[in-house]
Amino acid sequence: MARFLLTRTLSTLFTFWLIVTVVFFLMRLAPGGPFDGERRLPPEVETNLRAAYNLDKSLPQQYIDYLGMLGRGDLGPSFRQKDFSVNELVATGLPVSLTIGGLALFIAITLGITVGLKAGLAPGSRSDMLLMGVTNVGIAMPTIIVAPLFILIFGVALGWLPTGGLGGFTHYILPPIALALPFTAAIARLTRGSVVETLSEPHLTTARAKGLTERMIIRRHILPIALLPVVSYLGPAAAALLTGSVVIEQVFELPGIGRYFVQGALNRDYTLVMGVVVVYAALILLFNLLVDLAYARMDPRIRLQP
Amino acid sequence: MYILSRVVFSLVCWWLLASPLQSAETIHLGNPGEPETLDPHRYNLRLEETILTDLFLGLTTFNARGQIVPGAAAAWTTSSDGLTWTFTLRNGLKWSDGKTLTAHDFVYAFRRLLAPETAASLAYFMYPLKNAEAVNSGKLPSEELGARALDDHTLLLSLEAPYPHLPERLLYPTGYPVPKHLIDRVGDAWVKPKNWVSNGAYRLEDWQPQSHVTLVKNDYFFEPVEIERVSYHPLANEQSAYNRYRAREIHAISSFPSGELDRVRKDFASHLRLSPLLSIVYLVFNTTVVPFEDTRVRQALALVVDADLITVKVQRSGNVANGSFVPANVVDYTPAVMPHLNLNRGERRETALRLLREAGYGPDNPLRVTMRYVSGTEAKKTQLAIASFWKNIGVETQLHHAELKVHFADLRQGDFQVAQAGWFGENNAEHYLGLLVSDTGNVNYGRYANPEYDALMHAARQKANVKVRNVLLRKAEAVGIAEYPVIPLYSVMIRRLVDPAITGWHENSRDTHPVRFLGWR
Amino acid sequence: MIRSVVTSALFDTRLARICSLILGAIVLLAWLGPLFSGWKFDEIDWDALESPPSATHWFGTDFIGRDLFVRSMLGARVSLGIALVATVVSVLVGIPWGAVAGYLGGRTDQLMMRFVDMLYAVPFVLIVILLVVIFGRNPYLLFMALGAIFWLDIARIVRGQTLRLRTQPFIAAARLLGVSTPAIVLRHVVPNVMGPALVYATLTIPGVILAESFISFLGLGIQEPDTSWGVLIADGTQTMESSPWTLIFPGVLLAMTIWCTNMLGDRLRDRMEAATGYTRASGRRVQEGRVPGGRALGGRRT
Repeated sequence: MARFLLTRTLSTLFTFWLIVTVVFFLMRLAPGGPFDGERRLPPEVETNLRAAYNLDKSLPQQYIDYLGMLGRGDLGPSFRQKDFSVNELVATGLPVSLTIGGLALFIAITLGITVGLKAGLAPGSRSDMLLMGVTNVGIAMPTIIVAPLFILIFGVALGWLPTGGLGGFTHYILPPIALALPFTAAIARLTRGSVVETLSEPHLTTARAKGLTERMIIRRHILPIALLPVVSYLGPAAAALLTGSVVIEQVFELPGIGRYFVQGALNRDYTLVMGVVVVYAALILLFNLLVDLAYARMDPRIRLQP
Repeated sequence: MYILSRVVFSLVCWWLLASPLQSAETIHLGNPGEPETLDPHRYNLRLEETILTDLFLGLTTFNARGQIVPGAAAAWTTSSDGLTWTFTLRNGLKWSDGKTLTAHDFVYAFRRLLAPETAASLAYFMYPLKNAEAVNSGKLPSEELGARALDDHTLLLSLEAPYPHLPERLLYPTGYPVPKHLIDRVGDAWVKPKNWVSNGAYRLEDWQPQSHVTLVKNDYFFEPVEIERVSYHPLANEQSAYNRYRAREIHAISSFPSGELDRVRKDFASHLRLSPLLSIVYLVFNTTVVPFEDTRVRQALALVVDADLITVKVQRSGNVANGSFVPANVVDYTPAVMPHLNLNRGERRETALRLLREAGYGPDNPLRVTMRYVSGTEAKKTQLAIASFWKNIGVETQLHHAELKVHFADLRQGDFQVAQAGWFGENNAEHYLGLLVSDTGNVNYGRYANPEYDALMHAARQKANVKVRNVLLRKAEAVGIAEYPVIPLYSVMIRRLVDPAITGWHENSRDTHPVRFLGWR
Repeated sequence: MIRSVVTSALFDTRLARICSLILGAIVLLAWLGPLFSGWKFDEIDWDALESPPSATHWFGTDFIGRDLFVRSMLGARVSLGIALVATVVSVLVGIPWGAVAGYLGGRTDQLMMRFVDMLYAVPFVLIVILLVVIFGRNPYLLFMALGAIFWLDIARIVRGQTLRLRTQPFIAAARLLGVSTPAIVLRHVVPNVMGPALVYATLTIPGVILAESFISFLGLGIQEPDTSWGVLIADGTQTMESSPWTLIFPGVLLAMTIWCTNMLGDRLRDRMEAATGYTRASGRRVQEGRVPGGRALGGRRT
């Protein structure tokens, strides 16, 4: 177990380093810089500016400096958002993104498992067919269509909920639901599949023979095993969820880091884009690590490893 | 389960606490994008100007109808040669931290704007000041700038050449004072909300990028204002601006999808505010690259662009086709229109084909063009229509779009062939025609250079009398437009939705609506 | 064997037949449709600007009077084309990677698969956007980059299959006869894992289509006058009130394609597993879940 923990942590750190390195060198290939579009500057001013963005040193030196900066948790100044540093932008945007993402994950997991269990416990039944039909449609409905439709229906036509922007908690209802929809469907299908498979396993017969109630059987014998694939799905799902939140934040005009990322990308704000990718990567890696550990705790094959 | 419900409960509490109190005093306005900076000397965009107008007060300012009126200056006098302007400041002017504002603050501000270290894109707005250009390029020390404080209340501006439109020029943020006492202490961090000091009717309270810029009443402003707090929301997307307006989240928006115009006329007639903006949207050719250094090619492409068809059939949003580089609604000026406008459609096409043939292009060697435009639905429609006009004479057009900031950054770098551009604002012809003077710098995007044009413009700029100036300006325009460095397309019709409960909102040709004039019914 | 599996999966139930029919129709229309409609994809009908569906314009026209049917079909070509190219790229990278790892086994296998595991945690769509920002909006770049994302699953599947193959007598015989390792991998392993790999590759198609539509929706993908479903939907959402058909047609096409490819992909996989007796004993936790908007997913190797 200890060894498992150590190798997972090390490989997570290595992956992070790899991403940072690739992103750094890609960014140096990019055309333009912080001063494109400014007027022709006197040479001494340009020198000052280059120094401010740390562009006056050799490439390896810049790279080492950048790693040093990251080590101190400094993502540098923003090229376009002149009155802000990337840290300040991430600090304002991250809570928004995490709230949306967290809520979406919460919805997807609770709703998905409930639906999956309901369908899986009675495979082939009418409710099973109905629920799986619905999830099938859920998976196929792209966020880019669902989100604008939600705004039009619940925001404009019915006037129940805000159409975008920040504000009270009502602003946090539509976006997480729109984001969670396809993931809920996926988790439901996943749960159903493994519940059906677990049902056929012999130890359930033993459990029944021991006189346990159906409720107890579901709780003690079906769910723990059936949920293993769901847990392992969560890591990659988190990555996809963050990607999805980029679109959601754009459509609902939420000032999260996903929106900063898109705006940065469209406006060639290299430092901001790079900063957001680094933050996203760190988040996803961390989440994957946590999922791995949870999985290891749940799966006896790993738990019992020396 | 218990833990879970606790988590949910605390989350809900956190939301309720974190959500700002929607005060009835706050007015929520839509702005077409996110400001890059709120430093008036580093600003670049119209949408930044809108916010800066509320935050600062220049020597001159707008009234509610967009006319020029005294601002921080109570009055001014001009010497007979038009070279020296003396401004007398209002009594009792204060910064938002209560410190007294003096003429020295203005001198400091002009020097800061023109200092090379500031790297202000729009520094050239103040080039009418004596030695401004030399100071800006580092050739002269900033003390040589033609701005002096005679005492705390009197500011003296001396000019390079007569410039009758100075009061209009001083409306722009480039003419705003900045708080020296604060900048000396905290440097560039003065723009942070926690440090912020300004002299306008409002001061900066909060700025969350991509969400809002919130301003709050400045108690030291010389006039009382009704609105306590104003939030500007960046709404670059017309459809979502329209959605949020209809959901009553925003009180006034700067635009909505043009396809909705008919429905708005029917359902929201009392909300609709249409006003022609002093503006020209045009296509600019990069005259330094092949084949656009050839006047025949530019002329051929211009001949088949039908601006009426674009505004009437394609855009259907009230924009007005404009055949000259100066908008038709500029006062005291009769624009010189493009020479081909008296030809009919068939003749234009014939001439265009002939010109292209002469320039060496035809069916076996078609002209290929890359045209750049600003991302957005209306611009996309317009450019696609233009591409189809050109296709009719065998020209292949590749389209390339970018966000506003990137687009104009590339244009200033000269990194384009043909591009959409626009120029807004002043009510004088020179403001527009100056763009085509060869030494204007990088806002002469196409690097157009014609000695005859330059000479006429230079001659006009020596005259103190506006009428005399305009005669020469018109001659210059006639010379310039005949060479087609640009294709003027149309003047913009601003279509806003404004909550009928707001008072003091007057349409004006500059589309400026300082919040200090607004109120609630 | 593969062929019969595929045929039965595609046509044996009514649902499968409907899906195959829909997909076939979309492909056929994308290919031939524009020939039947008299309009060109960038041609403006000045008499029908933003007009609803009619006999002249079957899907109506877009915001500038271009025929939406022809544009949707062009969009289909681009979206399906990207899916095809990305899938081919993912197969080309994934098969050798998985086959080599599986055949060599041991430390090499561990290292190679650890690398695949690592890449699963990378926010790839963001990296693609990063590439677009740096190198400009280039459709070929988009094709390749998306392909480079989706090879991970193929590599995993192929490795699993190869591990099984390795113990088969004919491979052992080849080894005894002194056939070199590269030759065994190339001649005996790859042909045998090709079928399953291709079946799994179909599972990546909806993911690729969705990823492309995301990127184009954000304005970072295909450029005018070319188009893709993502671009059409992005335009449609801008005019969805005044002309709803501009959103409905491309939206329905996209949703239907995703749904049908998902459906058929799942069926193909299930049949495949039944036919090859691959029980997914350890791999089961792996293949089942698929990230919507993303790739067929593996879980952890345990």
